[in-house]
Amino acid sequence: MIRLSGIRKTYGKVTALDGLELDVREGEFFCLLGPSGAGKTTTLKTIAGLEIPDAGTVELDGEDMRGVEPYDRGVAMCFESYALYPHKSAYDNLASPLRSPRHRLPADRARERIGEVAELLGISALLDRPVGRLSNGQRQRVALGRVLVRPARAFLLDEPLSHLDAKLRQQMRAELKAIGAVRRTTTLYVTHDSVEALALGDRIGVIRDGRIVQTGTREEIWYRPHDTEVARAFGRPRINLLPGAIAPDGSFRSADGKVELPMRADAAPGTEVLVGVRPRDIELNGRGHELTGTVYVTEVLGRSVEVTVRLGEQHVSLVAPRGGATGLRPDDPVRLSVRPENLLLFEADRPERPGRRIDHD
Amino acid sequence: MTVKKRLLGWLADAALVLYFVFALFPIAWMVILSLKPTNELFSTYFSFSPTLDGYRTVLGDSEGIPFVRFFVNSLVVSVGAVVLSLLVGLPAAYASARWRFKGSENLMFTLLSFRFAPELTVIIPLFVLYQKLGLFDTYVGMVWVLQLVTLPLIVWIMRSYFADLTPELEQAALLDGYTRKQAFVRVALPLVKPGVAAVSLLAFIFAWNNFVFPLILTSNEAQTVTVGALSFLGGDRPKYNLTAAAALVSVVPPLLLALTIQRYLVRGLSFGAVKS
Repeated sequence: MIRLSGIRKTYGKVTALDGLELDVREGEFFCLLGPSGAGKTTTLKTIAGLEIPDAGTVELDGEDMRGVEPYDRGVAMCFESYALYPHKSAYDNLASPLRSPRHRLPADRARERIGEVAELLGISALLDRPVGRLSNGQRQRVALGRVLVRPARAFLLDEPLSHLDAKLRQQMRAELKAIGAVRRTTTLYVTHDSVEALALGDRIGVIRDGRIVQTGTREEIWYRPHDTEVARAFGRPRINLLPGAIAPDGSFRSADGKVELPMRADAAPGTEVLVGVRPRDIELNGRGHELTGTVYVTEVLGRSVEVTVRLGEQHVSLVAPRGGATGLRPDDPVRLSVRPENLLLFEADRPERPGRRIDHD
Repeated sequence: MTVKKRLLGWLADAALVLYFVFALFPIAWMVILSLKPTNELFSTYFSFSPTLDGYRTVLGDSEGIPFVRFFVNSLVVSVGAVVLSLLVGLPAAYASARWRFKGSENLMFTLLSFRFAPELTVIIPLFVLYQKLGLFDTYVGMVWVLQLVTLPLIVWIMRSYFADLTPELEQAALLDGYTRKQAFVRVALPLVKPGVAAVSLLAFIFAWNNFVFPLILTSNEAQTVTVGALSFLGGDRPKYNLTAAAALVSVVPPLLLALTIQRYLVRGLSFGAVKS
């Protein structure tokens, strides 16, 4: 269990963490998602005791970690830079935790354990090589192995798959959660890839500017995003956001007046809003609210087609099964439909912060 | 074009040869001088009957000058100074590269100032102090005073080596279950080994070549070759051949050290530590 409360950390004039609150449950696989510079790595290093926060408390399994040295915290971390010992072989890198005073194992037990982990990560053949002669992907797996090789209170993984090529990343993503040690151990996984977060996280925390914006299961993040930026972060193609305002009856009317969506928004009439709908939630000739527009461009994505449609002055994109969308040509008129439950409503974005979600029915 | 290039190459070679002659001439002259017998010392023509008598005299401690002891003194004092500086300087360099503490920059600057302050400005008070403390003409005294020469060098150069190492390597070691001291000894130190080799050599040469400190702070027991070699110039007649032989013998240790350590002087062992 990891609990951070009110963590502040500044480097000179730069605020890295600004009152960060985080609660990772025992045995959970928690993904921390955010753009670079959001404070993800600082969060991990604060938990590990490598950075001392200016304010706030770090708790591991309910124990306050103030003044506890990194080697006594019992957490394992995979650095984004790998941080492998360049003067040692892959084997010695993996063996390093097992030779330390804290986790010491007899040499034969250590060899056994390293063999298992190497097998798991597919690096058995590379163990004798100096890490300088490994590819980036291989180094990343050695770095991951150094974490998995020993028991830990928690695993802290800093973008452990980011430097793998696409195929290997997908394979490792599938395997990572199946690894016994990972399944049993509380894991905090940092990434900037929303697909990874959705695929791996039991729960997901979205971090921005040193603060957690939203924490929730993938369903909560997906269906009830805290604000437009969280909504934009998940899903490709990106969510469509149409600008408009709330009409006196609580319905939505787009800025150009071309799109009207009946709803009862929990906002005053005249409020400037954005209505959000994900491309996969828009159907051609389906049920729900109807919208008419003309085809702007189509792009075949394997078995489905991304269609961009001009709706008044805006473009919306949708993903349709290939069968339904073949034969669409630019400027063809189309009828789109959106189910009311798939509509999201946000305040309009402001320069100081992205628009928050507004309830509606 | 190619003709011009070849001509330029040829000119560059010629310039290099010229420079070598210029640079090596004093050494060649010393070699010749050291091989001359005493009675032909001042002959101006080139033919003389070469003899190793000069070396025999110097190394045989005849003439009442214990050159071998000076030589051993130099070794003891220089090696001692470098070892002590490494013991103190490596942790200091590491600390100053990793942590900013109150006054750390002032401390570092003070240390550096030992290098650019002329030794002569402090030698008189040091002489008085050494006389009073009983450090005059002792190994301990020489090793201590040579810290002024070797310590700033080692701390400043090693500091930049440590600063170039990513702190994440030591952080990884901490999380592997090692203490900060173990992280320093097991991870940081092995990675700066080429730097340690290079800077030790440099510090050794500086310590070996130092003249002013042994000149003023030793008389006999702890005197080093730089001062000792001059003893041959005293007496009724200056024996230039013996001085030359002594000087050449005293060049041997730094030269040998430089040759053996050469391969460490190439930096770049930390290759592969972090992603490219």
